[in-house]
Amino acid sequence: MPVSTPATAVIVGSGIVGAATAYFLTQHGVKVTLLDAVAPAAEATGAADGAVSVASKRPGPMMTAALSGVALYRELAATGLFSDIFKSRSTFIVAASNEECEVLHAHAAALAGAGVRVELLAAADVRQRFSALSTQARLVVEVHDEGHAIGYQIVHRFLTAAGVTVRRASPVRSILTGDGRCAAGVVTQDGEIRADIVIVAAGNGSAELLRLENVLTPRKGQLLVTERAPALNASMPGSIMSGRYLLSKGSQKGGVTVPRGLGLVIDPLRTGQFLIGGTREDHGSRQTNDLDAVGRILRHAVALVPKLASVRLLRSFAGLRTAVVDGLPLVGRIPGYENAFVATGFEGDGICLGPVVGRALASLACGAEPAIDLRPFAPSRFADHGVVA
Amino acid sequence: MTGRFFDWNGSAIPFREGETIAAALTGAGILHLGDDSVGSEARYFCGIGACQNCLVRVNGAIREACLTRAVAGLSVACVERRDHD
Amino acid sequence: MIEAQVLVIGAGPAGLAAAIEASRAGLAVTVVEQRETIGGAIYRQAVLGAPATYQPPAVRARWRRLVHDFAGCGITVRHGSVFLGIDGDGLAIVENRGTGHVEPVAAKAVIIAVGAIEKVLPRPGWNKAGVSTVGGLQIMMKETGRAPEGRILLAGSGPLLIAVAAQMARLGNAPVAVVEAGDPFRHPLTGGGLLAYPTLLAEALFYLKDVWLRGIPWLRATTVAGIEAGADGLVATLHDYTGTERRVAVDRIGLHDGIRPNDFGLSTPPGTSPVVVTAGDCREALGAVAAEADGRRAALSVIRLLQQREEVGTTAALRRERNAQGLLSELFAPVSARPLLSGLTDDTVLCRCENRTVGDLKALCGKEDPLSGREVKHNGRFAMGACQGRFCAENTARLMAELRQDAPAPSAVDLTGRRWPIRPVPIGALVCASDDTSKQE
Repeated sequence: MPVSTPATAVIVGSGIVGAATAYFLTQHGVKVTLLDAVAPAAEATGAADGAVSVASKRPGPMMTAALSGVALYRELAATGLFSDIFKSRSTFIVAASNEECEVLHAHAAALAGAGVRVELLAAADVRQRFSALSTQARLVVEVHDEGHAIGYQIVHRFLTAAGVTVRRASPVRSILTGDGRCAAGVVTQDGEIRADIVIVAAGNGSAELLRLENVLTPRKGQLLVTERAPALNASMPGSIMSGRYLLSKGSQKGGVTVPRGLGLVIDPLRTGQFLIGGTREDHGSRQTNDLDAVGRILRHAVALVPKLASVRLLRSFAGLRTAVVDGLPLVGRIPGYENAFVATGFEGDGICLGPVVGRALASLACGAEPAIDLRPFAPSRFADHGVVA
Repeated sequence: MTGRFFDWNGSAIPFREGETIAAALTGAGILHLGDDSVGSEARYFCGIGACQNCLVRVNGAIREACLTRAVAGLSVACVERRDHD
Repeated sequence: MIEAQVLVIGAGPAGLAAAIEASRAGLAVTVVEQRETIGGAIYRQAVLGAPATYQPPAVRARWRRLVHDFAGCGITVRHGSVFLGIDGDGLAIVENRGTGHVEPVAAKAVIIAVGAIEKVLPRPGWNKAGVSTVGGLQIMMKETGRAPEGRILLAGSGPLLIAVAAQMARLGNAPVAVVEAGDPFRHPLTGGGLLAYPTLLAEALFYLKDVWLRGIPWLRATTVAGIEAGADGLVATLHDYTGTERRVAVDRIGLHDGIRPNDFGLSTPPGTSPVVVTAGDCREALGAVAAEADGRRAALSVIRLLQQREEVGTTAALRRERNAQGLLSELFAPVSARPLLSGLTDDTVLCRCENRTVGDLKALCGKEDPLSGREVKHNGRFAMGACQGRFCAENTARLMAELRQDAPAPSAVDLTGRRWPIRPVPIGALVCASDDTSKQE
């Protein structure tokens, strides 16, 4: 067991998880080699909605982790590392139908029970607090102390602060096995890279590397960015999450999925722009956006914030999140190795959880107790799948 | 002048049938079309809708002045005016 | 949903030629055009009652023939329609400015002929009001029949500056000077090569003679090093090849450093339908004659695919225009070989839409870790604004290459990406878009 701090680490993947892990390992004094098949934040991290949020979580390990995730963002914003790139704001969950109201009432109670500061806003309060919202909003729950961060900015900040140079365009072919139950490093197209510990944070790329094709699955998301609309942006005290989002997320549980789920989120960005999302799709290329999805997202957005109709759409994009078949991420020791770890499968929660998981993984790799409970996410639950030394 | 005018931030701007808003504003000696939300000066630049430098509000909608034909009675304004309403 | 056999985007010379060719082959053609008129930038016509802009007889003849042939085909033109791209399902997305609705078009083939854009190199103050592209000045002059008013300076490089100077002079307001970074007189042999292209040469001399006769100063091997606001208009600082500096007070400045394809954001859909072909200056910026030939080539390749016919090559005409443009590039090559960066202060704006400067780029690229184009875009906001990188992506990529000679040189597309909408579009127009509300939400 690596009870002492390793001297060197190789990290596969420079998305938010890899970058955070690199940063925290560097804090432990570990010399990090960071590899990416493309470039930092080139995949899901660079196409994420950026929610740093527990608002959609149900009580359980994901909510517990997300609460720690939000707390770490606040801490890093306070200490300066994220001061200018984390936007603290509330999330407003909006119910527009009886079905949504019912789900939202129960959801708000569950959040409150988990210690989350929530506030039920009646129609009059909504008009006062959130004048941009349509009168279609029948029930609004304000979830306090949440925030927003843009994935690629967080990655850039971690890498700059860690002083780590990323080896771009360096796909990893395999883990290099050493003596006994030890990984000796990784094999790339340019040869072997040896290190005391190996960390795989390669998102969908982890599937092939760890032979987890049956465990990890890509899930496409389409997102939109508008031009600046400073007045409308300033009038929104936080992000909007459609109550339908809860229904949409619910549909993902227990392996029952719809081919294309829509969960509307409208986030007023620091720039004065809006980020509007998004879809969850089991099929589709990350290269494309389609009018069907874009039109549906925007119809829903305008129904909730009518003034968005006169704002111009500037850009669409899409990414492939990495989902795990049982809906929980994969974080911890890779079965069969003492000194190789994986952290992936955060689906839509990578931005929220990336930093806190990176910190926990760095602790674990250095023989310290992680600050969050990683046991529910242990890769050993899939020990009969995937790579074994 | 043919007696056709549109409104630019409260001033009447004459134009000829078929002219764009950009051409009419330029003809009236108006080169600076206000400052946008990052502080850049809005202005006529490429003339083909590509540069997005000449954005104005035409009856409330954001439009390229170089692509939009002038029509009598239009309300044309700097982009940011409405934003700070 | 609109259905079309062949959808042609843009009614400039390439689009019109493609439409004519496809229509003559019996295909049903629809043209979408963002303006209310056809002809594109090159053949922009004067509004009713305004005088026509001075052009060589050959140019006028080409236009008359094109417009005659096009009229004879009875092709539908959807005016006021802005092309937003082709989506992941293969639909062409068009914003109808008249109705305020986005219209999806299901086409068997799409010929994209959206022309060129002008290259404008960054210079301190290029982003000020009163500064336009030279082509922008010319288009407005063609449309209104009026020369730009006041003291006008044309600067940059290439034959367009001479043409616009002559056209302005004919309309009663010659520019105070034409500032040319190159010096064609230093390349007599290359100039002699133009004898092989009599039409082009005639066109050049047609405009040049006006510039000479009217004594418009043509300051060769000279650049505009900076533009400032003056007491009354703008002040341009000129640097000539000897290092001499002088300042000129003017009302407006036209800049032009060549043209490049307006191919930003264009992507080929993943499937096999529709067939997507680019044509004219948006494929290779070679000017109006080549654009027509290339439009025909594009149409023929579409006809071949849709009707299983033999392809007929028109590459000889393109090759000829490419060679001619190559000669012009040599003739007008900037005399100063200094890197672009050397003339730029840190506060020079590089990306006007996002107000990002040369200094911002230096700060990003000065770290140990050399960033890719996409990372510079994300973390520096270069090419993230409303023009979607059309006027800064290439300049940013070029400066990145100068700043980091140790890293692979990025290209403009690394900064711009390839996704629709290729132009900003009101959300309200997209909300009205599709007729797919019946689909499962």
